[in-house]
Amino acid sequence: MAPTLVAEGLVKRFGPVAAVDGVSLTVSAGEVVGLLGPNGAGKTTTLRMLAGILTPDAGRVRVGDVDIHDRPLDAKRRLGFLSGDTQLYQRLTTREVLRYFGRLYGMAEAVIDARSSRLVEELEMGEFADRPCGTLSSGQKQRANIARAFLHEPGLLILDEPTVALDVISGQFIVESIRGQRDAGRAVLFSTHVMSEAEYLCDRILLLHRGRVIDEGVLGDLLARSGCGNLTDAFLLRVGREGHRE
Amino acid sequence: MRSAVVLEIFRKELTETLRDRRTLTMMIALPVLLYPLLMIGFSKLQVSQREATEERTSRIALWGAAPAALREALTRGGRVVIDDASPPPEAVRRGLARGTLTRPAAGPRDAAGGSRPGEPAARERDADSREPDHPVLDAARAAVTQRRVDAVLVLWPDVGPAIADAGVGSVSIYFDSVREDSLEAQSRLERSLDAYRDRLVAERERALGLKPGFARGLDVWATNVAAEARQSGQLLGLFLPFLLVTMSLLGGFYPAIDLTAGEKERGTMQTLLCAPVSPVEIVTGKYFAVWVTSLIAALANIVSLGVTVMRILPVSSISLSLPTLALAFAMLLPVTLFITAVFLAVAAFAKDFKDGQNFLTPVYMLLAMPAGVTMLRGIELNAWTAFVPVVNIALLIKALLISEAAPDLIFLALLSSTAYAAMAVMLAARVFGREQVMLGGRESLRSLLGFERRKGEEPTPAFALTAFGLVLVLTFYGSLLLKSAGTIATLLVTEYGFFLGPTLLLVAGFGFAWKRTLALRRPPLPGLVAAVLIGSSAWAVAAGLLIRVLPPPESLVRALEQLLLLDGAPAPLWLVWLVIAITPALCEEMFFRGFVLSGLRRLGLWPAVLVCALLFGLAHSSVYRLLPTFVIGLLLSWLVWKTGSIWTGVVAHALNNGIAATLVYDKTLAAAVGAGSQAYLGWKPTLVAVVVLAAGLVILRLAPPAENG
Repeated sequence: MAPTLVAEGLVKRFGPVAAVDGVSLTVSAGEVVGLLGPNGAGKTTTLRMLAGILTPDAGRVRVGDVDIHDRPLDAKRRLGFLSGDTQLYQRLTTREVLRYFGRLYGMAEAVIDARSSRLVEELEMGEFADRPCGTLSSGQKQRANIARAFLHEPGLLILDEPTVALDVISGQFIVESIRGQRDAGRAVLFSTHVMSEAEYLCDRILLLHRGRVIDEGVLGDLLARSGCGNLTDAFLLRVGREGHRE
Repeated sequence: MRSAVVLEIFRKELTETLRDRRTLTMMIALPVLLYPLLMIGFSKLQVSQREATEERTSRIALWGAAPAALREALTRGGRVVIDDASPPPEAVRRGLARGTLTRPAAGPRDAAGGSRPGEPAARERDADSREPDHPVLDAARAAVTQRRVDAVLVLWPDVGPAIADAGVGSVSIYFDSVREDSLEAQSRLERSLDAYRDRLVAERERALGLKPGFARGLDVWATNVAAEARQSGQLLGLFLPFLLVTMSLLGGFYPAIDLTAGEKERGTMQTLLCAPVSPVEIVTGKYFAVWVTSLIAALANIVSLGVTVMRILPVSSISLSLPTLALAFAMLLPVTLFITAVFLAVAAFAKDFKDGQNFLTPVYMLLAMPAGVTMLRGIELNAWTAFVPVVNIALLIKALLISEAAPDLIFLALLSSTAYAAMAVMLAARVFGREQVMLGGRESLRSLLGFERRKGEEPTPAFALTAFGLVLVLTFYGSLLLKSAGTIATLLVTEYGFFLGPTLLLVAGFGFAWKRTLALRRPPLPGLVAAVLIGSSAWAVAAGLLIRVLPPPESLVRALEQLLLLDGAPAPLWLVWLVIAITPALCEEMFFRGFVLSGLRRLGLWPAVLVCALLFGLAHSSVYRLLPTFVIGLLLSWLVWKTGSIWTGVVAHALNNGIAATLVYDKTLAAAVGAGSQAYLGWKPTLVAVVVLAAGLVILRLAPPAENG
């Protein structure tokens, strides 16, 4: 079966700096691919290009059989995007946010109602689903945000550090939700700085450094190639302690 | 663009905006409180001030020897008290007593037009009339400005002899026009002195056995003919337009920041950008949400004002009719459309709310504050101000309040406002299309405004519309500036300098494809025949049919005829054709049917032709000429579209103008074809023209399509 997401030779420059410099990757259905890299490695820029928020200077992105450059709206309909710094409308309730996005995705009212109710239950949002998002805690907000990204049941999930700034319990809740999506046959691409999450969740891992993929493979292969016992050591070995751009 | 998505974004943005207390305060609470407080407070203050001034007795100093009758006349009624405790300085007292101090000769201003000593009404009403400095003036100034007295009345040494001897004496009132009390004292003194003089004259007439009124000759009465509504309109017109404009704009201020920079700050912009919606849909939805907020603010202002004036105000000194209020609201529509777009476009660059405030405050000041010129008397809506954004609408509202808005000026003000609004909306759409801007990055102005060369392309619709807006403003102010240069020079410079020049510069500067953009192709023969038929009949259809819909006023007809004859200067017919027919045909066709039409091409045949014709009509800057020029624009646009050659448009345009000018030029010829002095062309020649036009259109329709590519 063809991969759900295919990216070939993505390049993005900001002024003279190439933030992403020729990244290619694939993610297939039922697979979680982790994107690891130090700050400034180009993870967020890559994910934004894959989600159709940024236009690459070079390279192509295909979601399913749709080229994101040719038919951006169709491609966006097939993916759900979530990032750690994505927020919700403070003066709308979770249910209103879900209804709003459901309509933007062109879903029927009945479908929106049914899925919202199910997501509220699954993500245990019953007690706060009718409160303005501005009053929610970080963990509650991120759950509401996940519901927003899952609502249209996309075949591909692109998650940019989804557990950042969350406590252990909330983070674990979200990790389990991602796992649930994988088990439901979705393709998931996510970035994180938490190595244990990557070890626990990822079927494959891409190591990004200075805008390029410097290593790629299943966890075992990565560890074997580096000769390290865990992902953190392997990461430090490949990227080096001075690997920060900032 | 999908309307359902736009509507959804609009609905959500409006919901959120209306849940924001800050916006609600600005939008509703402020105006609801502002007008009653302002107007009641203002009128209360004014009334009580007035009453207090009238209540008070005026304390005056009387310098010089005063006859008892005069003293008695001044203090009769008890409103004026002579304060003998404020004597003049010793030198002045002595000078007046000895007759060494006399009223100084008038200064230059007096000699020019004011009163002269010796005239019966030698009074200094005008506070600006300057006496040269002299001891009496200095002493009086000190007494009045230090508030020892409200005014100083000086009886010059010639008063005593004059009264005794039936001569003329002079009296001066020294007052301070800045002090309300002093002004009141001055007017009381004048009234008393007038009465005293009248009595004096009457006594003299009696003594000489003359008829009463012999020495007066004329009684002059001045009556204000301005209706009450006009008077109060003038008063309201001074501050109301400014207030309405600034308050309506304020209504959109916070939402514009909140929906752009605020979204970025809260991290929700990215959420929206990953949904399957296009930037144009986002900006449109947001645009309407901010616009509606502005409108609600405008409405709240108008309603609050109306209720205040009609129901609450204690004195009925100010009146406002419902239609006036409704019209004022309608005038706010284009200005809010414009400002909303500017606000959104600018606020989109801000990273967060604070940044947004920093960006928008100067923009707001820059756009709204000029509307303050309405507070100056004498600044009115005219051909110049009708094109100044925001100010034109403020002045239009002012003109409406005194029921003095000419249709053509309303048209110009609304036209230019709409043009500015359209340009601003396009700018906003462009900003929202820039992912860098939307995600909080930087973007060069050059790439934002699309100042990149587009080698070998044709202009886009947005580019063509922007060019139209710029050319419109350029021609408008340009031709006003040139007015003194004479008709021929004005027409030539306007056409070559403001239509053809910019067209060629734009094509060359941006590297557009010359041939395709300006339709520079050899015309096909059937197209040329159609052009001749259309060009020779279109004027008659306009003069015989179209102007019956909205007959132009006589003055405009005369002005146009004057123009067609090159201002009545004895010019040969070939010159008339060159200036009136060939030049506009060439220059205007290059711009409208060349540049603009090729820019609109991707909209499809009829939208492009309709918009191009509408712009052509609008560019003639007169509501009366709109329909005829629009129809002629339709014909010319279709002609060029169908033949793919600008030259068919040039031929038809030149014939149309040339024939119309020739008929004005040659009255006998005009009479021969039935286009004599009556207002409209007769039915018979009109019918012939319709047939010729129809023939031209049929030939054009049957002609093979041009290769538009």
